[in-house]
Amino acid sequence: MNLKACLKGTALAMVVALPAMAQDNAVTVVLSEELDLVDPCMSSRSNIGRVVLQNIAETITEMVPGQGLQPRLATEWEDMGGGTWRFHLRDGVTFHDGSAFDAEDVAHSIARTTGDKIVCEIGAKYFGGMELTTNVVDANTIDITADPAQPILPLLMSTMTVVPAETAVDSFVSTPVGTGPYTFDEYNVGQNIKLSANPNYWGDQPAVQSANYVFRSDSAVRAAMVQTGEADIAPNIALQDATNDAMDYSYPNSETVYLRVDHNIAPLNDVRVRKALNLAVDREAFVGTILANGTLLATGMTPPSTIGYNTDLTHYAYDPEQAKALLAEAKADGVDVDQEITLIGRTGNFGNVLETMEALTAMFQDAGFNMKLEMYEVAEWENFYSKPFAEDRGPQMVQAQHDNANGDPVFSMYFKYACDGLQSGVCDEKIDSMIADATASVGAEREAKWKDLFAYIHEENVTDVFLFHMVGFSRVGERLDFEPTIKTNSELQLAQISFK
Amino acid sequence: MTAFLQKRAFASLISLMGLVVLVFFLSRLTGDPTTLYLPVDASLESREQFRELHGLNDPILVQFGRYVGDLVQFDFGMSIRRSAPAIDVVLQAFVWTLQLALITMTLVTVAAIVIGSIAAFHIGGVFDRIATFFSLIGASAPDFWIAIISIVIFSVGLGWLPTSGTGTVWHWILPIAVLFIRPFGLILQVVRGSMVSTLSSAYVKTARAKGLRNKPIIFVHALRNAMLPVITVIGDQAAALLNGAVVVETIFGFPGVGKLMIDSILQRDFTVVLAAIMVTAVAIFVMNILIDILYAVLDPRIRY
Amino acid sequence: MTDTKTLPPQNIPAQTHPAKQILMMLWRDKLAFCAAIFILIVIFCALFGAPLLEDVATKQNLRGRNAAPFDFSKDWVFWLGGDALGRPLLARIVVASQNTLMVATGAVVVSLAIGTTLGLIAGYTTRMGSQIIMRLADVIMSFPSLLLAVIVLYMLVPSVGNLIIVLAITRIPVYLRTSRAEVLEIRERMFVQAARVMGASTNRIVFKHILPVVFPTLVTIATLDFAFVMLAESSLSFLGIGIQPPEITWGLMVAQGKAYLTTAWWLSFWPGLAIILTTLSLNLLSNWMRVALDPVQRWRLEIGKKSNG
Repeated sequence: MNLKACLKGTALAMVVALPAMAQDNAVTVVLSEELDLVDPCMSSRSNIGRVVLQNIAETITEMVPGQGLQPRLATEWEDMGGGTWRFHLRDGVTFHDGSAFDAEDVAHSIARTTGDKIVCEIGAKYFGGMELTTNVVDANTIDITADPAQPILPLLMSTMTVVPAETAVDSFVSTPVGTGPYTFDEYNVGQNIKLSANPNYWGDQPAVQSANYVFRSDSAVRAAMVQTGEADIAPNIALQDATNDAMDYSYPNSETVYLRVDHNIAPLNDVRVRKALNLAVDREAFVGTILANGTLLATGMTPPSTIGYNTDLTHYAYDPEQAKALLAEAKADGVDVDQEITLIGRTGNFGNVLETMEALTAMFQDAGFNMKLEMYEVAEWENFYSKPFAEDRGPQMVQAQHDNANGDPVFSMYFKYACDGLQSGVCDEKIDSMIADATASVGAEREAKWKDLFAYIHEENVTDVFLFHMVGFSRVGERLDFEPTIKTNSELQLAQISFK
Repeated sequence: MTAFLQKRAFASLISLMGLVVLVFFLSRLTGDPTTLYLPVDASLESREQFRELHGLNDPILVQFGRYVGDLVQFDFGMSIRRSAPAIDVVLQAFVWTLQLALITMTLVTVAAIVIGSIAAFHIGGVFDRIATFFSLIGASAPDFWIAIISIVIFSVGLGWLPTSGTGTVWHWILPIAVLFIRPFGLILQVVRGSMVSTLSSAYVKTARAKGLRNKPIIFVHALRNAMLPVITVIGDQAAALLNGAVVVETIFGFPGVGKLMIDSILQRDFTVVLAAIMVTAVAIFVMNILIDILYAVLDPRIRY
Repeated sequence: MTDTKTLPPQNIPAQTHPAKQILMMLWRDKLAFCAAIFILIVIFCALFGAPLLEDVATKQNLRGRNAAPFDFSKDWVFWLGGDALGRPLLARIVVASQNTLMVATGAVVVSLAIGTTLGLIAGYTTRMGSQIIMRLADVIMSFPSLLLAVIVLYMLVPSVGNLIIVLAITRIPVYLRTSRAEVLEIRERMFVQAARVMGASTNRIVFKHILPVVFPTLVTIATLDFAFVMLAESSLSFLGIGIQPPEITWGLMVAQGKAYLTTAWWLSFWPGLAIILTTLSLNLLSNWMRVALDPVQRWRLEIGKKSNG
């Protein structure tokens, strides 16, 4: 047998041995990291959410892009006053274990998610600083009371995943049980997670009958897997790997990149210096180069899909000369503008973060700032980003990426701008009262108040250096009919996928 | 020999204890895991609650005492990240690493000794030049380069092999091929160098002077003596593989212990880091004892 | 690597100056000669090129990023293309050579010196001392090098000095175990036994008789370790904890270019090639050196001659 024939034979055998492209109604999803946990109460983490959220465990309400808040396990809800909301639950829903879904399950899920036996990410992220109490009215009706009162409690309930009342409160589950259209079949640690369609689902039967999740940390490999047909969807690939127009979709991923300015330390406590920082950045130069086409220039903390997003604001135009002039003016008034400012970046925060930070540093230096870049891995970076801040710190700016796909700025503004906000570099009475006002309002008034706050932060206080609303890339195999949306950053509803 | 084994086992135990102490305190110095497990918006109370839950509020010596207390009962603690026993998490990954290391090292050893010896025997010849040149290039190319380019060529371009993952035997070819290159280059060089020295040393000369003109016999004779430094380097390379091949595991999505360790230290999942270190260390100690025995077998003059 | 027929010492007139003699021998092995030239260029770049090109190498041009190589209409620094921020790759490689050589040389020399010393002691000392040293080697060896590096670099700043320390620590066991193993064997050989019988001191035996025999193997490992250290440094950058911009090394450039491997290969190819060529040259030189300068090896050439012919 000559070499060529031998190679041919080998190649043939390989084709045969390649993992079968499965049945026509199965999909393989390739995620960027292995899941540590699969508990529904952790599903606000993006990769956990892409497996669990709305596939296995459903939420009480659901935020749908373009349609607003929609029913999910609750069919309708009303404000009872005094911080209490009444939710009417869907009838005829069963969990994967066969038990019926009722108000007790909701009460248990809320207690578990916000309880102190385990630290659930959903509890810590959305329900910190409030007390939730529940009152089961009947099997299909439940009253939920928040203290302090939350005008957007139904919106908050779009994050609350529901598990059976039998679920242990003091440990994370390794086989999640929910009411969703898919059941959790098996988790081969290090290899894959398998889901299959739930025949007893209350809604329509989905087109995708089974799903296989695999994990690859390298973006080029994820892209290659979809290219070769080994996987159908790679929800998150890098800009430089999105080279195939037929397969690659970009979507606004609800992430905002900004530089948090520390107002407590000179010279950053001077508004002229902060304005100069904003003018020194050539934001447009990043788009279509280091960052993807379609990246939006930011004027505020939350993406355009949130209510109260202020379309009247325009970003600071690139004007290094004016920046220099402002610095000179501040210097004339005795502000020590020559002091070294540390720019703190987070390693691996988003694709090309290092290039972005290097470019920003050079721009600041060109405008006359004495800027020094330091990149830190997440745990160390957190020490700079969140309070308590170090006592003996010098002037600092911290690069961060903030995610708000929930439609309301309340998820962002308190933490980032209130005096007591954990990541707030500012303490301004006016901002504090504006946040409190907007949080307590509803409807058009709420929207207007958020708008005013965005304008104040961007134009008058010049609190931070806002940079970009980011774009994500997904690669989707050609046999699927699926278009990623802003939600693809945090969930991947298999039921929304169909075949061509 | 039994006495020697007992002694070595005891010595390894001491090394292991030293390692545990070192890793425990060093890893704690890298910081508090709390911020990593909670969303950045988490309140100070939930942070406090997390620390309380995982015993991170106690003085470090108390934490160490508790850890050692559990350890003597073979309780390696729970993984914060996986919310599962740390030792289970580690053993699952280690099985993959062990297989990968065994297969790769067997191939490397055989190939490097055969090719290296031939090169040494014909030093300066065409074969020697080609072998040296390519093994050196292979040994000095970044492995993530080779890994990604081989995926681009063999999986995407030619469609011969799966890109990554586990499952069939074909999934193993690319990771092993990439892992093979560097130790092969290194060991080949050492085999060649050592063989050259041995062939030039007095006893080979003597053997030849005595009239032993038969090449194979000289070859075997020399090889046996040239193996000592070679085995040391093989041991070193095998130890590196047992500690996991972080880059290859990362790119090929191979669930080994190397990536687990790095991920765990990034996530400050200390129990897993410690359990992983202990498991790999025991494997490496066992291997080192085998190597010492091999020394004695190859060279009777070495006494223990 | 060396063409054996050209090297017998009797071919070199005894009265020539030793430096000239070495140059003559180098010239006869063309590959080693090229390698020597290349190493000189790299050292020259590190010493003089880096300060000169510093400014050119940091000038960004976002709109001209990932410029393709071999565009000779541009400035010469762009002949190898531009990087992700539009900075000239050639200039950056020259500037990076300084840090790269510092880290690699530092780590290799430090680990070679410490490892060999400990290995010689372990091989030629009391059982107790040997045991302590070997257990130490066991601890370091079973401590995964990348993990150790990650932990140490979290606590210290990833500066050139700290990188040298971290990489050196992880490489010590190789030299230690190799030199000890060789010592165990050599100390039983006739000439060492003879020296001992004649009353030579331990120091003299170790440094005069054993070290020269051990050294060639150690040098082989050390030159290969150059590659290892440069690549380990690159792996650290791959994990995001190596040397931090604006400092640059070849390893960091390779790691940063990795993301563009399929779209702009030149970003990581050129610095990778620099690593490969440097290590290759060092290895060719070391092979040449072993044959040409080691008196113990000279007679071996006769075997080489016969087996070749």
